[in-house]
Amino acid sequence: MGRCVTLFAATFIMIVTMFSPAHAHKVIASVFPSGSEIEGEIGFSNGDMAADTIVEVFDLQGEKIDEIKTDADGFFVYTPQKNVDLRFRADLGAGHIAEATFDIADLSGLMEANTRAALSQPVAVDVGSRSDTPAITPEQEQIIATIVRDELRPLRREITAYKEKNDLQSILGGIGYIFGAFGIIYYIAARRLRAKA
Amino acid sequence: MHIVDGALAPEVLIGGGILAVSGLALGLRKLPIDKIPATGVLSATFFVASLIHVPVGPSSVHLIMSGLAGIVLGWTAFPALFVGLLLQAVFFGFGGLTVLGVNTVNIAFPAVVAGLMFRAVIARSNPVGAAIWGGFAGALSIALTTIFVAISLGLSGEGFVPAAKLVFFAHIPIMAIEGFVSAAAVYLISKVKPALLQSDHEETALRMQVAAQRTKQAREVQNG
Repeated sequence: MGRCVTLFAATFIMIVTMFSPAHAHKVIASVFPSGSEIEGEIGFSNGDMAADTIVEVFDLQGEKIDEIKTDADGFFVYTPQKNVDLRFRADLGAGHIAEATFDIADLSGLMEANTRAALSQPVAVDVGSRSDTPAITPEQEQIIATIVRDELRPLRREITAYKEKNDLQSILGGIGYIFGAFGIIYYIAARRLRAKA
Repeated sequence: MHIVDGALAPEVLIGGGILAVSGLALGLRKLPIDKIPATGVLSATFFVASLIHVPVGPSSVHLIMSGLAGIVLGWTAFPALFVGLLLQAVFFGFGGLTVLGVNTVNIAFPAVVAGLMFRAVIARSNPVGAAIWGGFAGALSIALTTIFVAISLGLSGEGFVPAAKLVFFAHIPIMAIEGFVSAAAVYLISKVKPALLQSDHEETALRMQVAAQRTKQAREVQNG
């Protein structure tokens, strides 16, 4: 009997110490622009990534445009063909649907990049020939853009993780709402009881 | 366990909503005034339980604690778990608002079934026996919930058998853990406050009568 109590107490303490108000089992999907491509990540909030999952690409009207597959880390890259906002959707099974929308305006875009390159080229040459200041060539611009993207990637992931975090405030707030709601129910029940008496 | 928005067919959502409303109505009608605090506490328990992570291998699972609600509350588990689910959807983004009805039925109905099955035997047993039955009730409610989830997915077009297998086997560890935690909780309750596990409607009714009588007397004293 006594041993039983200690056993239960030990389990309880064990479970309570594991308690971490962290992320729960939730699907996370994030997409972000990367030059003329869209990068995305899909996985669960406990760190399991959706490996080799088919991601369907829709426009906002719900027409299916394309289909891509994630790699082993739940990562995918999509090159948009048309200038429309996109919705990415992946079915992870067991009622887990990952969905993320992408605003095409966030993309610097291949077409735009080309036109920009075409525009900046003569200007750069002009400036270079006139005052000998080193101008940025389109190739250099591409390299810089790649570096900036690589530098920003961990930050973006951190922001995604931060958005998924449940802090103590919302937990306590939720408990407060529950107690408040049941307080109201209690009040109504008590009033009824009084009215009956 | 929580199905998210967009995974189910509209018919399933509507059906789930109707069932959830009837369950809620039934639960609220069966809610005696002295069970309201317990309902609130168990609702809060359920709300927070999903944040308690138990590592299993490389992954982790979270507690649900619906079985305990079923044992203590019976049909009243419906409103308790509904409130918990609503706030989980709003605060943490678990599940969603359109699937709230389906999720409520999937989680609360098994809790009620487990509660009705094991309540009587738990009320009769000594603390250790009650703990063992409580553990069974906790594990059973999770197992039934996985089947309900599989049915919801099956009705929405996903094959029932593969969905059922996937959900059921993914939740075997949580069934074991949940059973253990429920057993511990029932043991504690039956030691500290065994009245919580009694499903004696007569006694409740009697107590309510007494309370009403007292209020009446108090009023008469005030008036006179």
